[in-house]
This record gives sequence, structure tokens and C-alpha cells, in this order.
Amino acid sequence: MNLLLIILLPLLGALLPPLAIRYGRSASAWTAAAITLAALLFALGPLVAVFGGAPQEVHWTWLPQAGLDIHLRLDGLAALFVLLILGIGLLVILYARYYLAERDPMGRFYGLLLLFMGAMLGVALSNHLLQLLVFWELTSLSSFLLISYWHHRSDARRGARMALAITGAGGLAMLAGFMLLGHIVGSYQISVILNAGDLIRAHPLYAPMLLLVLLGAFTKSAQFPFHFWLPHAMAAPTPVSAYLHSATMVKAGVFLLARLYPALSGTELWFFLVGGVGLATLLFAAYNALFQHDLKGLLAYSTISHLGLITLLFGIGTPLAAVAGVFHIINHATFKASLFMAAGIIDHETGTRDMRLINGMWKYMPHTATLAMVAAAAMAGVPLLNGFLSKEMFFAETLHLSALGAFSWVLPAAATLAGIFAVAYSARFIHDVFFNGEPIDLPKFPPHEPPRHMKVPVEILVALCLLVGILPAITVAPLLAVAAGAVLNGPLPDYSLAIWHGFNTPFIMSLVALAGGIALYTQRHKLFALHDRVFPGVDARALFWEFITWLMDTAHAMTRALENGSLQRYAALLLLTAVAAIAWPFLNSTAPIAGPVPAAPIDALTLLGALVMMAAAVVTTVWQRQRLTAVIALSVVGLVVSLTFVRWSAPDLALTQLSVEVVTIVLLLLALYFLPQRATVDSSNLRRGQDLLLATGVGGGVGLITWAMLTRPYTTIANYFVENSLPGGGGANVVNVILVDFRGFDTLGEITVLAIAAIGIFALLDNLRLEMPATDDGGRPWSSERYPLVLSQLTRFLLPLALLVSVYLFLRGHNAPGGGFIAGLVTAVALILQYMASGIDWTQQRWRLQYHPIIAAGVLIAAATGAGSWLYDRPFLTSAFGHFHLPLAGEFELATAMLFDLGVYLTVVGVVMLILANLGKLTQRSAGEGGT
Amino acid sequence: MNFVMPDFMPALPEMFLLGMVCFILLLDLFLSERSRVVTYLLAQSTLLGALLLTVSLYEEGRALTFSDTFVHDPMGSVLKVFIYLATFLVFLYAKDYLRARNMFKGEFYVLGLFGVLGMNVLVSAHSLLTIYLGLELLSLSMYAMVALQRDSVQASEAAMKYFVLGAMASAMLLYGMSMLYGITGSLDLGQINTSTAAMDNNSMLLAFALVFIVIGVAFKLGAVPFHMWLPDVYHGAPTAVTLYLSSAPKLAAFAMMMRLLVDGLGGLQEQWEGMLILLTVLSLAAGNIIAIAQTNLKRMLAYSAISHVGFLLLGVLSGTQAGYAAAMFYAIVYVIMGLGGFGMIVLMSRAGFEADSIEDFKGLNERSPWFALMMLILMFSMAGVPPFLGFWSKLAVIQAALGADLVWLVAVAVVFSVIGAFYYLRVVKVMYFDKADVGAPTVSAGFDLRVVLSANSLAVLGLGLFPGSLLALCVAALA
Repeated sequence: MNLLLIILLPLLGALLPPLAIRYGRSASAWTAAAITLAALLFALGPLVAVFGGAPQEVHWTWLPQAGLDIHLRLDGLAALFVLLILGIGLLVILYARYYLAERDPMGRFYGLLLLFMGAMLGVALSNHLLQLLVFWELTSLSSFLLISYWHHRSDARRGARMALAITGAGGLAMLAGFMLLGHIVGSYQISVILNAGDLIRAHPLYAPMLLLVLLGAFTKSAQFPFHFWLPHAMAAPTPVSAYLHSATMVKAGVFLLARLYPALSGTELWFFLVGGVGLATLLFAAYNALFQHDLKGLLAYSTISHLGLITLLFGIGTPLAAVAGVFHIINHATFKASLFMAAGIIDHETGTRDMRLINGMWKYMPHTATLAMVAAAAMAGVPLLNGFLSKEMFFAETLHLSALGAFSWVLPAAATLAGIFAVAYSARFIHDVFFNGEPIDLPKFPPHEPPRHMKVPVEILVALCLLVGILPAITVAPLLAVAAGAVLNGPLPDYSLAIWHGFNTPFIMSLVALAGGIALYTQRHKLFALHDRVFPGVDARALFWEFITWLMDTAHAMTRALENGSLQRYAALLLLTAVAAIAWPFLNSTAPIAGPVPAAPIDALTLLGALVMMAAAVVTTVWQRQRLTAVIALSVVGLVVSLTFVRWSAPDLALTQLSVEVVTIVLLLLALYFLPQRATVDSSNLRRGQDLLLATGVGGGVGLITWAMLTRPYTTIANYFVENSLPGGGGANVVNVILVDFRGFDTLGEITVLAIAAIGIFALLDNLRLEMPATDDGGRPWSSERYPLVLSQLTRFLLPLALLVSVYLFLRGHNAPGGGFIAGLVTAVALILQYMASGIDWTQQRWRLQYHPIIAAGVLIAAATGAGSWLYDRPFLTSAFGHFHLPLAGEFELATAMLFDLGVYLTVVGVVMLILANLGKLTQRSAGEGGT
Repeated sequence: MNFVMPDFMPALPEMFLLGMVCFILLLDLFLSERSRVVTYLLAQSTLLGALLLTVSLYEEGRALTFSDTFVHDPMGSVLKVFIYLATFLVFLYAKDYLRARNMFKGEFYVLGLFGVLGMNVLVSAHSLLTIYLGLELLSLSMYAMVALQRDSVQASEAAMKYFVLGAMASAMLLYGMSMLYGITGSLDLGQINTSTAAMDNNSMLLAFALVFIVIGVAFKLGAVPFHMWLPDVYHGAPTAVTLYLSSAPKLAAFAMMMRLLVDGLGGLQEQWEGMLILLTVLSLAAGNIIAIAQTNLKRMLAYSAISHVGFLLLGVLSGTQAGYAAAMFYAIVYVIMGLGGFGMIVLMSRAGFEADSIEDFKGLNERSPWFALMMLILMFSMAGVPPFLGFWSKLAVIQAALGADLVWLVAVAVVFSVIGAFYYLRVVKVMYFDKADVGAPTVSAGFDLRVVLSANSLAVLGLGLFPGSLLALCVAALA
């Protein structure tokens, strides 16, 4: 339980400092400090147990579906980090209290700091990969907010964004790596994974998994070539740098290397990847650190370099190297945190961080200068300081490596070279800042010693550097032993923490480094000039931005290609993809396209019909700009389709098709009135060519599919209806019986929808008047609106005939082709002809019929027929039929279905008339002026 | 022929919805402009009522009705609940936006509720017929909603594009369905599954039918290369409508995919898996890369929606119960985040100012630190950063895909989500680091909008810390 509290205290406590700020700035700081102290107190018990050799472990179920529980484990390594995080955290809280200016919102700062602390503790204590990742990303997030704390500064913004982009991306890569790792082992629990090293290393997915996990670790620990975010993150307030960029966040990456060391290390890939990257980082950053003019920039590069050193140590892979790595983690945290704090004091007191301006500080702040110089000496690896010890161990390890064969000298040489640069930049830090003449144009002058409490944290850390450096065996030895033991997950190698190992090769290397570094520093002015000449601003940051630019360009190019806003383009893409998707099974299938059913023989008549239809379709498309021609050609297509139905014995369909065809053409003609006779040319020949190809493709595809469908056997449901039509529904016309009886309920629904749609259209068109131009582009009158005498006389003559036909069709509908729907259409067409031939006013004077009541009557009759069966205790829409004898007409049958059909008839007439008549009305210039 | 009365109980929420929508439609005619809020309140209570009915029916278990064309099952119930909730939020967020633009009309709510009815039908479909019915009811409502702002050229254009492309896709789906019917002789999804599973796997006709059906589903989901409508429509439509389009219909589209591909064509999983993989990769790539170039937030979120579809497909194509549950979880999570994202645009906008450009969020941190934080949570969640909700949904689908041994696909997904993180971060950067233009307005939205939107964003964080219950719900719904 204590373990969970250690994490939860800072996480939840993060809410308190912003609340406490109303009681004063100090209240906020003391709240944060109290929370940290409490966490430290809770950690004491488990820590003691760990030092006694008993790792603490707890777990609760949290998200069983994702295989995720809360697993916490405190072993030596975790204990080391818990101590670093809480200990240095406490010092930073104290330091920041005096560092932050009056106008800085202190509550927010401490809240974020605690949030970060909790996240970092979570990383250290997690015993589950995914849970670790959650905390890992939380550190990225809270560090982003901390770096951007001074968001009014543009460098802070860029720095924070870059830090987040790089570490965030690395975290996602790590997620993938962790998932692979979990996949390999079958568990996400770290303690399980650590014992499955052999399984992991032998797995085929080892390489990609390792690569992804390392990406996460390297980005977090600012390893080359992902190092560039760290110097830019120096825009953060110095307490943040002292905490995040020395002891905690950047250490998360090397923590992960240490954590997974037993499971992942021990392969050549590990050696070359981790060792290679570590070495490159070590050298590159050490070199660069010397050329920074920004005080914190120097420290940032030095941090990168030291992180590279630790990475290299873990990469080497020997147990001793791992011990040295852990040791250097401790040492680096102490001296770097104190250096950042010292740099912060100088910045705070002088108002600048430019080392070309800050000189001779010894005179103004001797106390701070002493502290800083000791810490910088530790960084350089001067004997009697902690940095020296771990550096010696590192030098010794580079000598014992045989993996490189004949090139074994490379590593010690590189290490010495890095050592030379380390000494040089440490010397620069000391000499440039504290001596080297007088300060130049300081924004704040004269500088003086900071408040007493601001120096206390630095003093404590520097004291630790000295204690560890002089008395390692009684100060750091137990901590190192448990931590290294946890990293190795096995027995510890023999090592000695003595400060004097005799005059051996590592000591000579140290001496060379010291002497070389100082020599290098004295020649710095020449070097600066050379550096500026050879590497004018070479920076991986440029590559980062170049990549971003490239990504932007790609994105723009893709937008232009796919998303240009043109509907034609979209439709073409959609169809093209569909054609491609259809072509795929075609090409992939070895089976013939045609199925086993033989095609019916083609007779001349059918062929002729098909040819006429094709010709008409072509005419429609080619002459689509001459609208009347196109409409006529289109009606030919419809006609042939109805003839096709006749040819294949579907007279009902043919009749329906025919009447629907007529109604649609009428509709089109009404619409044509609003358009000029000829359409303008609005697509280029190229576009039309493309469209032709696409249309051919789509048409061909659909044709092939139809062919494939029709030549395959299928079971028809027609038989059921054919057999049951007469006995069950009392009609021989199967289509009509289905409509009014078998699926009567559906039909009832359909006519209701039809009625609603008609009323909707009526509502939209009512009172709508479209203004017509008097002439078209060619100067011809738009429309003469005369009603030809012959046509009007003929249609008047036709009307009774057509009505008779519709009654005939209606009555015989139940047994022979016909029915309410078709009859309704015929009646409507006959009536609409009157409108068209004689004008709306003329017709309406003689034909005073409201269509709304007709529609209503139709729907009501149909519904009442259905409900009528309730009177006979039958379910809704039960039908009955009987045969009657009528004089003259002879024997015929009456069915309740017929009544229902009457409803359909009335609705169809009403709907069609309502729609067409109202569309026709739009053409009137104004009310009362239409007819002649 | 006798007509048998169906069992209405399993479809009680739908009946209730239908009745209420018709009632609201009529009532709205008689309301004056000033009392339009009655329509709003009625619409909201309709959603709550349907929610109560659905929840109370949850325990009933699986039941078929209406000649087996309608199914009531746990998956449907869970999805419906989230459809109601999402629409409830949409109506709430949209209220002030609509008022400021003289669009506070009954049509918005009636069409919205009809859309919900369509979604419900789609979610509960157990026959090709009901699927098509629900799809069209939903789509037609959405076309009309996009065109609701009649004097906006942009909106009309968007509606036109949506309608034409939607009709094409719908036709293709119908074509596929007709082929399926021709092959199996049945419209019932269960029967289709039995007969296709027994069929020769290499049947060319089946492959054709499948291609068309997948096209229809992909269009509805907005998966690349059938996504072209999505950015233009999201961008062109009034934000209140975009809010609607981007939320609940995603759940319906997911249900449609589940019903068609899993319930109906589960036996052909091997065949549609390949197609879905293609759609996934393309959606992830195009969605994430093109999003980077966008300067309009609505467009950016549209592309982000496309990339999220890629992830959702990742769960479905793994073809396991766990994968389906993960995909469902993903869909629900996406809807919660999307609501927040588009809700932020609504929150920032005012009459004459759409706030839909990323630039409009410049310096939000100075103007309103609280909502900058809310947006930050949403953006991080969409990027899939732990511990926010979006991370868990990504994790769930990736685990499902790993379970199906699709390691390379997982790698692709991760690479593109890394790229995707970039454009979400840009929004955060703009909010936190760029200086606000002089005279940039502060947030002045109504109290209810502020509170609910904050709750929405905090839910992304809160559910992110305790994602177990939501995921468990999805797993249980598909068990």
C-alpha cells in the first residue's frame, strides 16, 4: 500500500499548491515540500526492506480486459530512482521558492512539478510495461507543461514543442516495442520479462522489438541523433532544468535500459546499437558542449554527453560496466543538479546566461563560485570527487573489451578524447564565468550573492559530491550494491570503490584527459574560430525541421491530388476504385466468368431491340446538350425496356414501366422549360475522354457481373407465389396479388409514404414562382406558350377513351395484367395531357378537383379495407373474395383486395396529379396570365 | 394471407422515438419563434426517454422480431445508449450556435431524431432490408441537415457532394446486397451467414457481392479511398451539423459493418480481412498525412476521423471477439473525443465568427486557460497519449491485431500514429505558445455548454484513468 501512496501523494497532491497559493507564495512551496517529505516518509519502510534484500511488490486488478493490473515493485534500481526523485525534488522545491519571480504563478509551477514527480515515481516503480508507458508519457506531458512555463518566451515555446514531439513520438514507438515484447513473453509484467531473457533474445521479433524500445529510450535520454531537443528545452526555468534535465526525466531513458538490461542485453545487436549510439552521443555532445556560449547550453550538451556515457556502459554489456553505469547515474545526478542550480543563481543575479558577458563572478559571489567550481570539477572527473570514481570505472571497462577485435583501441581512445573535451568544457565553465576579467554589459549590475536558502540545496548536493568522492565505501556503496544487483538480476561482480587503484592505465587516461582538456581550453579561441568556419550551424534540429517541411509538402501534394474539392474528381475516384476492386476477383479467379446455365438463344427481334436501346442510349449521351433530343432518345430507351418485359412475358411490368416512363418524360419536359434549349459546353475533350473510359469500365464491369449472375443457377421464390396466388389470394395475376394481398401491408405503407411525399412536394412548390428570362442567349423568345389546336382537340377526344382504359385495367387487374397502380398512372397521364395541351387555367376551370382529398380518400380506403377484417375477427388485412355474375359483363370476381386496390388507384392518381400540376404551375409568368 | 402481429417489445425504443418525432414535427408547426425551446426540450427528453427504455430492455437478452428483420441484442443496446448520449450532447452544444445563426428551427431536431431512428434501425438490423432502411433514413436526414443553412454556398455545395457520392455508394451497397440475395436466396443475415459459410470460398459472385458491400460500409465509415466526401462535408456543413455527423453516425456505421460483415458474412472473414487491411493502411496513411496540411480545424478533425477509422478497422479485421470488442470500444471512445473536439469549435464560435480555423485558437491559454487545458486533453487523447482515453482504445485494437499476428500492420499503425501526433500537437502549440491576435474574443458561451463540454473533456481524462468499466461493457456486449 505504501508503494501506491508514494506515487499517489504527489499525483493527487499536485492539486494542492495551486490552491494553497491564496495563503501566500511560501504556503504553496511548503505544501509541495510537505507532500514530497510525506512521500519520502512512506517510502522509508519499503526502502529499508529493499536494502535488507527483499524487493517489495504489490498488485491490484485495474483493467483485466486489457491484461492490465496495477503492478508496483520496489527493487534496488527503483529504490535508487525513488531516492533521486524525491531527494532532489525536495531540494528543487526549496530552490525554486527563491528562484521564481514575483510575477510567476507559483501555484501552477509546484502543481506541475508534483505531477511530474508522481509520474516519474510511477515510471520507477512500475512492474508492468504498459503501466510504465502510461507514466512515461505522463512525464513527457508534464515536462512539456513545465518547459513551457514561461510561455511568453518564444524559445520556450519552440523548445517545449520540440521536446514533446520527439519524446512523444519515441513513446509511441516504445508502445509498439512493449506490445511486441509482451507478445513475445506472453506477459507484460516486468519481473516475468526479466526472467525470460533467453526466450526474448531467440525470438524472431527480437530485432524490431529492440529497435522500437530503444527508440523510446534514446529519444527520452536525448541520445544522438535525437539529442537536439534537450538544448532547446533549456528555455525552461532553471529549477525545471535542474530537476528534469539532470536527475529525472532524461534519466528515464537510461533507467529503461537498466530496467530491461537482463532481458534485452547480451546480443550483438544490443552491443552495436546501444554501445554505438552511446559512443556517438558521448563524443558528439562533449565536443559540442565546448562551443556553447549559453551557460545552460553547455550544461545541456554535457548532460547529453554523460547520458551517452551511461548508455555506452550499458551497451558494453559486461556486469562491471553495468555497475559503472548505475554508479554514474548517481554521480551525474548530484553534480549536474547542483551545476544547474548554480547556473540558475548566476542567471538570476546577472540577468543573462551568455558566458561571453558573464566574467569575473568570483569577486561578486565567492560562495556560489566555490560551490559551482567543486561541482564542475566533479563533472570533469577530478580526483576526490564522485565524477572521478565512475569515470575511472568507465575507462577501465573500455580497456577490457574484446568484442571489437583489432579495433579494441578505438574505445579507450574515444573515451579519453571525450574525457579531454569534458575537462575542457568544465574548465570553460569555471574560468569563463568566475574569472577571465570583468563582466561585460550585464543586464543586472552589480551581481551579488543570492538569498541564503537558494544556496542550501546546492551546498547539500556539493557536499554529497565530496562525500561520495572521498568516502565512497561508507556512503554510496550499499545503494550502489542493491541498485546494480537489481539491474543485473543476478550476482554482483567484484568491484572496488576505493579512490586509489594504483598508477594503472585508467589513471593515466584520466591524467591525459585532465592535461589535454586544460591544454585544449587554453587554445579555445582558435578552436572557436575553426568550429564556426567548419560547422556553421550544423544542427540535427535543421534535419528535424527539414523532415517537418517535407512532411508538410507531402501532405499538401496529397491534398491536391485527392482532395481538390471537385465532385467530378471524387466521383471518378470512387468509380475507379470500384472498378479496380471488381477487376481483382476477376483476375484472381481461374473459374470462367460464365456459369453452367446455358444462355438462351438470341433471336432477331431481341437483337434488334437491344441494338435500338444501345443506339438510343448513345444518342442520349452524345446529344445530351440538345435537351429535347436527349429526352426523346431517353424515352426510346424506356420504351425498349418495356418491350423487353413484354418479350420475356412480364406484361404487368411492361405496363407499369410504360406508364411510369410517360409520367417521367412529362416531368422532364416540365423541367426542360426552365432550361435553355442547348446546354453550354462545360467539359474539355480530355475530361470527356476520361469519362468515356471510366464509363466503359463501369459499364463493362456491370455487364460482366450481370452475365456471371445470370448464367448461374439460382432458386427462385416465384414458385411459391405462382402456386398460392389463386388459392390464397383469389387472383391469377400474381404481381397484383402480391401487391394487394401477400404484401398488402407493405403496399399500405408505400402509398402512405407516397402521399406524404406528394404533400411535401406540394408544400415546397406552393407559392413558388420562378422568374423566366424573356429570351435565351440567342435572342429568341424563351417560350411562346401557345397551345396547338390540333393537340388540344385530340387530347379532349382521348380523355374519355383513356379513362375507360384505366377502368378496364383496374377491374381486370386481379387476374390479368393491370391493377390499381397502373390504372392510376394511366388516369393521371390522361389528365395531365389536358393540362399540357390546353393550359392549366383552361383545365382548372373545367376540372375543379382538389387532389388532397383524393389522396386522403385513397389511403383511408386502403386502410379501412385492412381494418375491415377486424369486424370478422380476423387479423388486419385478411382478404376475402367471391365470384359474381354481372349482366352483360359476365362472370367476374370481387375481392376485398380490389377495394384495397381502389385505395392504391386513388392515391396514385392524386399524388401524380398533385406533383405534376404544381410543377406545371411554376411555369406561369404570373397568376392569371398563363392561358391564351 | 394472414398478417401476424409482431412482437413490439424488442423495438420499443424505436417505436417511442418514431412516435415522439412525429409528435414534435407536428407540434413544432404551431410554436412561435420564441417558444422554439420547447422543441429543443422535447427532443432532449425524447432521447432520455429512449435511453431509459433501452436500458430497461438491456437485460432481456437477444430477441428477434418483425419477421426476423430486427434484432435486439446487448451490442445493439450498448451502441444505442451511446447514440442517444452523443446526440443529446450534440443538441446541447448546438443550441446557442444555432440561435446565433438563425438556424434554431424545429427541422434540426426533427431531422436529428429521424437520424437517430435510422441509426437505431441500422444498429438492430438483422436483414439486408433493415440495414438499407436504416442507412437511408440516416443518410437522408444527414443530407438534409448539411443543407440546412440554405443561404450558405459552402453548406449547399457540401450537401450536394454528400448526396451525389452518398447515392453512388448507396447504389453500390444495394447492388452488392442484391447479388448476395441472388446467391443465397435470403435477406436474413443469419441465413446468409449459414449459406455463405457453407459455400465454395472461391465463388466469384460472392467476391463481387463482398466487394460492393465493403465499398458501401467503407463509404459510410469514411475509410480511404471512399473518404472524399468526409472532409468537404465536415468543413462545409455548419459546425453544429458537423458535430452531429461526426458523432453518433460513426457508431451506426460500426454497427452496420458488424451486422453485415460479421453477422452476415462472418464465414468469409478470410476474404474481407484482406480488403479491410487495405482500407486500414490507406486510411491511416492518407488520414494522418493529409491532416498535417490542414489549416482548418474542422478539416483537420475530418482527416483525423479518417485515420481513426483506420484504427477501428484494425480491431474488426482481427476477426476475434476481442477484436470486435476493441473496435467497439474504439468507436465509442472516438465519439466521446470527437464530440469534445467539435464541441470546442462550437464553444469558441459566435455570430459571424466560426472559429474553425486553427489560427482562431491562437493564444487560447491566455484568454481561457481552462478551455485550453480541456482542448489539450482532447488533442492528446486523440493522439493516443496515455493516460488519456484515446490511448486505451488504441492499445485495445493494437492488442487485438497482435493477437491475430498482424505484426507488420501494427507497425504501420504505430508509425502513422506517430505522424498523427504531430498535427494534434500543432493545435496545442498554437493554443499555448502563439500570441492571440489583438481583440481576439474570449469564450462567452452559455453556462450549460461550458459545464457539459468541460465534463466531456474531463471524461476523456477520467475514463482514461479508469477505462476498465467501458471496455468491460464492450466485451460483455459482444460476448
